[in-house]
Amino acid sequence: MTQPFPFLLLPHIWSSRNRARRRQKGDLLRAGMFGGVGLVVCAALFAGAYWLTTKLAVYEEFGDYLLRLGLSWLFLTFLAFLAFSGVVTALSTFFLSDDLRLLMGAPVAAGRLFMARFTRTVGQASWMVIIFMAPILLGVGIASCAPLVYYFTAVLAVVPFVVIPVAIGAAMTLLLVNVLPARRARDLLMLASLMFAAAIVLTLRFIQPERLMRVENLPDITDFFATLQSPIAPLLPSFWAGEVLFAGLQGAGDLLHGTALWTTALAFTVVLAAADRRWHFAGYSRSQEAPKARVTSLRIVDWLAHALPLSTVRRQLLVKDVKVFLRDVSQWLQLLPLFALVLLYLYNFSALDLERIPYMSGVIKNVYALVNLGMAGFVVATVAVRFVFPAVSAEGAAFWLVRTSPISMRDFLWSKFWTGLVPMVLFVEVLTIVANEFMGVDPFLKVIAAVAVVFMTFAMVGLAVGLGARYPRFGADPNQVAGSYGGVAFMILAVLYIIVMIVLLGWPSAMWLFSRVRNVRLSALREAMMAASFLLAIVLSISTWLVAMRSGVRALDDMNR
Amino acid sequence: MIAIERLVKRYGAFTAVDDLSLDVKPGEIHGFLGPNGAGKTTTLRLIAGLLLPTSGRIVVNGHDLAAEPEAAKASLGFIPDRPFIYEKLTAGEFLRFHGGLYGIDGTGITGRVHEMLDLFELRRWENELIESFSHGMKQRLVMSAAFLHRPRAIAVDEPMVGLDPRGARLIKDVFRRMSEHGVAILMSTHTLEVAQEMCHRISIIQKGKIIAAGTVDDVRRMAGDGGDHLTSVFLRLTGGSGLQEIDEIV
Repeated sequence: MTQPFPFLLLPHIWSSRNRARRRQKGDLLRAGMFGGVGLVVCAALFAGAYWLTTKLAVYEEFGDYLLRLGLSWLFLTFLAFLAFSGVVTALSTFFLSDDLRLLMGAPVAAGRLFMARFTRTVGQASWMVIIFMAPILLGVGIASCAPLVYYFTAVLAVVPFVVIPVAIGAAMTLLLVNVLPARRARDLLMLASLMFAAAIVLTLRFIQPERLMRVENLPDITDFFATLQSPIAPLLPSFWAGEVLFAGLQGAGDLLHGTALWTTALAFTVVLAAADRRWHFAGYSRSQEAPKARVTSLRIVDWLAHALPLSTVRRQLLVKDVKVFLRDVSQWLQLLPLFALVLLYLYNFSALDLERIPYMSGVIKNVYALVNLGMAGFVVATVAVRFVFPAVSAEGAAFWLVRTSPISMRDFLWSKFWTGLVPMVLFVEVLTIVANEFMGVDPFLKVIAAVAVVFMTFAMVGLAVGLGARYPRFGADPNQVAGSYGGVAFMILAVLYIIVMIVLLGWPSAMWLFSRVRNVRLSALREAMMAASFLLAIVLSISTWLVAMRSGVRALDDMNR
Repeated sequence: MIAIERLVKRYGAFTAVDDLSLDVKPGEIHGFLGPNGAGKTTTLRLIAGLLLPTSGRIVVNGHDLAAEPEAAKASLGFIPDRPFIYEKLTAGEFLRFHGGLYGIDGTGITGRVHEMLDLFELRRWENELIESFSHGMKQRLVMSAAFLHRPRAIAVDEPMVGLDPRGARLIKDVFRRMSEHGVAILMSTHTLEVAQEMCHRISIIQKGKIIAAGTVDDVRRMAGDGGDHLTSVFLRLTGGSGLQEIDEIV
């Protein structure tokens, strides 16, 4: 090959162009929804950064100091994420990507292939960080009335800043793929995910942001920020990027840290290229070797299935689904980051010391019970779209087996429903109860939330299974299935359902709580309306569940006609 | 043209290719036969530069694959059993990209792409997305790509799988014409009739070792089989038919 390395990126560019030209059903809806959500998040980040910067500006020198630390901390957070993302992305782009079978067989120089893959890795690993970072930096800049040079500086600082951690992540992948026994890529991913989850929790434990809530600790806040500035911080690219940006805000240039960023990024790229030339082919060759996969017999699944009062057909469907799921590490691995976020969420509840704002604590606590219910609903929707919605599609090329067997589609789909429901109910029930316990929510609301979340899980799992059967994408990757037309439709319906449920449950709960706080007796009419509201929530949940399931069964039956 | 010297590939304790040597001369169609899991695909992937050999040497068109990987790969056309194609590209785009990988660009590429699309009867699909192609059309597209850069040697894994009789006939004709033009073809296949009909020489591989090699007649003599069909020779050499228990089971 004689063309420069960007030639190797052409298939992806052409593919994107072709995809855009030949839009499929639901593409616009999907783009609109994801784009809309993205815009809302970006607007929120911009507003938050703008608000915080204007508040800090009031404190002059102290505010500047906090802003400087804040920038450094912002980049530090992204640094960890980029390194983790670099590990996972490089595993795919350098070792597992299907097109490597074509490219490795072609006479492409190792250096060119490396540059193309590394460019793709940096792009894939960092686009989300850049999208989130841009509105924050824009907010800081506008709030500080920064000169134009700040925005140029931002671009010049962010480029080498994202290259450095991704290069480190890619180097880590290169090392691990060569060191670990063949075809342990999935184990590697698991390791990386666990490390990421642990890092999030540990970072939070060390920083202890709840200390900010304690008013008597105010004189120590400078100490608190100083702890963020550990002795090794000046050696990190996040610190350099923060300094360059801060200098840009003042209209000046920080040549020292800017040069440090660029030289480090280039040096890391050169060193990684050399290491890649030496070890990539060996690693790629190892990553394809799969003489024997380790199989866990999972006898406990058989034993549990036999203990349940199920027909043979349903039992075998259950055993098959559970075993396939548990043996596919890459599937359940995706739950780990979610668990990490849930841990963080619970930790935040436990850390909030609302008793210090007595006049507000009662209201906030109980509002949080509803917020918590909404959050639990979103967790269910998110897990359901990724794991329950693709359940029918996941049968893929093997679906002929079910269709040609003497199994009714009703039995088949209901088996999918129960397999998805049971773990989900257990998970969100624990999440809701623990979070409400941490908050010290009113017992009445605790009961309402605990019962409501069961109904919500039934409805959303039923909706996911039903729509998954109505809009299957056999043979597609589960991630693609989740992002398909049906997946997006499910998310929209699920979000609408959650909002309606929060309204239906929130209004009577609030009525009841206020009447109790103010010692006011509720009128019979109001009590009847409250009961009707609860009843409506129950009816809505049950009908969502059953209608979606029936529609799914009908869609599968129609497939056979 | 394709010379393999004492090739070994181990996966941990398992030896997939065991001290294998093979020489495919220019213009020769060499059949590579063996039961499932014998090491055929591994050998072909080693020749294509997709796997790193544990030991041994592979030379394509005089270029050592380990020392001059780019020159060796530039002389080779590889057709895998499960090829990768960019599904969201059109057939024309895929071939143009493939040509670029092998250094064919500029004015020459369009004409060459059309030649190959005409040869494999895909011209009318030039601007269609590959994802809409049938299995046979994809197979023919992969072959177009493999022949696009005028390789001096071809390594092909199970070329006839999934092709209709017309497609199979076309591929056989193309292989014959290529071999007449001096191209060396190493072809793994399970279809013994294809090997019998097309190959100048065959090698039978079992448990990573070549257990018989030569012309079809040579191999037949080695097996001590006077029958017309290669199937009985193949079964004799690779260890019985395993049919005796079928009646009991049925």
